[in-house]
Amino acid sequence: MIDFELGDELELVRETARDFAEDHLRPALRDHEAAQSVGDSTLDAFRNIGFETLEWPETLGGSQLGALARCVVSEELAAGDAGAALAIDPLGPALYPLLEFGGIETLRELGAPLLHAPGSRAWLVWNGEGTRNRIERSAAGVTGTIAWVPASRVDLLVFLDEEGGFAVSEGIEHAPLRGSGLRAAGASELTLVKAPVRAEWSDASGAATALARCRLVIAALLVGVMRESAEYSRRYALDRVAFGKPIAHHQALSFLIADMASSVDCARLLVWEAAWRLEAGEDAHEACATAFVEAAEQAMFVTPNGVQILGGHGFMQDYPVEKFMREARALSLMLGGVDAAREAAGRELVSTLGRVALNVEAIG
Amino acid sequence: MNLSIDSETQKRIDGVRKLGESQIRPVGLEADRLGRPTPADHPFFDLLLEIGMGRSRWVGEEPAEDSDTAGPRVGNSRNMLCISEEMSYWDRGVAVSFPGPGLGEPPLISMGTADQKARFLGPFLEPDRPRWGSFAMTEPGAGSDVAAIASSARKDGGDWILNGAKSFAANASRADWIVVWATVDPSLGREGHRAFVVERGTPGLGDFVVERKMGLKAYESTSFTLRDCRVPGANLIGGEEHYARRAGFKGAMRSFNATRPLVAIMAVGIGRAALDEALAFARENNLLGDARIRDRLERIRRRLRVARLLCWRAAWLADHGRPNIVEASMSKAVAPNVALEAASLGMELLGEVGGRGDHLIEKLFRDVKAMDIVEGTGQVQRIVMARHLVQLPRD
Repeated sequence: MIDFELGDELELVRETARDFAEDHLRPALRDHEAAQSVGDSTLDAFRNIGFETLEWPETLGGSQLGALARCVVSEELAAGDAGAALAIDPLGPALYPLLEFGGIETLRELGAPLLHAPGSRAWLVWNGEGTRNRIERSAAGVTGTIAWVPASRVDLLVFLDEEGGFAVSEGIEHAPLRGSGLRAAGASELTLVKAPVRAEWSDASGAATALARCRLVIAALLVGVMRESAEYSRRYALDRVAFGKPIAHHQALSFLIADMASSVDCARLLVWEAAWRLEAGEDAHEACATAFVEAAEQAMFVTPNGVQILGGHGFMQDYPVEKFMREARALSLMLGGVDAAREAAGRELVSTLGRVALNVEAIG
Repeated sequence: MNLSIDSETQKRIDGVRKLGESQIRPVGLEADRLGRPTPADHPFFDLLLEIGMGRSRWVGEEPAEDSDTAGPRVGNSRNMLCISEEMSYWDRGVAVSFPGPGLGEPPLISMGTADQKARFLGPFLEPDRPRWGSFAMTEPGAGSDVAAIASSARKDGGDWILNGAKSFAANASRADWIVVWATVDPSLGREGHRAFVVERGTPGLGDFVVERKMGLKAYESTSFTLRDCRVPGANLIGGEEHYARRAGFKGAMRSFNATRPLVAIMAVGIGRAALDEALAFARENNLLGDARIRDRLERIRRRLRVARLLCWRAAWLADHGRPNIVEASMSKAVAPNVALEAASLGMELLGEVGGRGDHLIEKLFRDVKAMDIVEGTGQVQRIVMARHLVQLPRD
């Protein structure tokens, strides 16, 4: 029977993440952005509630929660500050290729050391269709430039493409950037000159699953960003008076606010649906790509309108809505961007013969 | 969380699908081609009766009072949504034409006295022939603004005298009875509304005009008038006590709505039919190698999935008696536009073939527009949402 209940455990996880975001991320979002760092106390606080290892296997001390928990947490953290949400998560999306390709042993070898050195960051670079980076591999190592990563240091760089991936942990040169959005996570251009390959994997199926899970996490972050943009601008529209009444009570804006609320829910429902498919062991590659496209499109409807509702104030950095707009755009540039995801979902669709099933049919 | 269709519901969907392929769609295409509602004596309706349809949901007896130990009753409108979507996939207009008490049934079940249920729903328990009930709220001057209905009800002894004009009532000219809404005092708004069962042949009920429509031609949308139409007091649904009792709850609004997601999911069904047809046409004509076309088809599938999830969620909330006004209106605001986009894209892929006016997608394109109008237009849904989100005033 169709059921949208998260359950007590996930509700508790959600509440914990929300409290953390409200206590540690949102109040300091401009400070973190300016410093391009969230600072040690925030990192410590996050580590103390155990969210660093939310999805890690229990044998490595993790909570072994699933994709849905990750999505719920990511939304809450990003509603506080999406840049900070990246900064406090040492492995970030790089977790998925490690788990998919190498399993627990690889995670122990490559991932676990980052947890023991606070402030360490791994990052995942999409190196397949849609990437703008030019990475060359030879017997001597990896050479190339990565235009932007949302990190001020990268201790482990995982490259992912359609066929598999490889990891680099030495020979990574950082050049600091200002960054467009997500500045709290830092921003760098990375240069590699014959950097040694630490591990490599050839596994197209694992690569597809890793990419799907990465897309889903980014989509969940986008939901958080647009939710906060919609909510902030909704509250503002109730306070701001123009032409004799709160601007929210002019129908042009009340309809826009209703549509923005719909957008947030649309994106979240597709994220949850894809996460549910992953956890149910159903094929979820297309669903994750689809959730990413929806989240990116809806975020680029909601967040510019969040600025619009605040008018001139929205354009000023005294208010956070311009930041939400930059972050929505920056998040959806990752993993080959929206077009790559659209292409993946579109190719899956046109390979469908007969009726298109919108959802998973007939389990239990 | 479970976002799959359970296998029992899937079996019922498969049953609708069989009927849809063999009967519903052909009957719908026939009505569209001939430009008339399916006649009441069409053999299709006899067939529906034979397979157990055309019945009332009312079970023929009053349910026992819920005991405290039974716990909160969890509704099952989610399954109804799945069935309704599949029905609309095959033909929305035909689905409305099905024999049965129709939209008159819910007010009779929720407000009617035992005697009224027996009199008006009883004949639908084991109907001897295809029978219809009908429902008339909309007037030429009152659509979404239902509080503005002008049809009047005046007490005369033990009877009521009805006067006014009603529009777009489904199956009204063939119905055994019509649930007619009228007002005892227009200045009272909804508080003044009363529902009457007006039986076929009642003097003063007449001037039936079957309207000509853009689409959904398989069922009749009928306008009629009431001229000093005398209705016995026993046909006031719920009796006068019901309205006296309700007046005590003035201002109390229901916190959930089960109808909007049910109507919204019908749009999803139409949209799915358009997507499947568009995809098939594009494949036959070697269009799927074009990324532009793949992108647009991808968008349609994605938006239909979203629309369906919005409907499912609103129904799930209603089934648990949880507030869902925003969610219900959201589903109804989103789904019809998605479905229209699906049918419109289908037309574009057809190209000039769509211009011929004889392709299923072209019919769906005309049918689907109604979905953003019935059960509260998309604009009304946004107003409802805004009342909750930003306390949009009612004036």
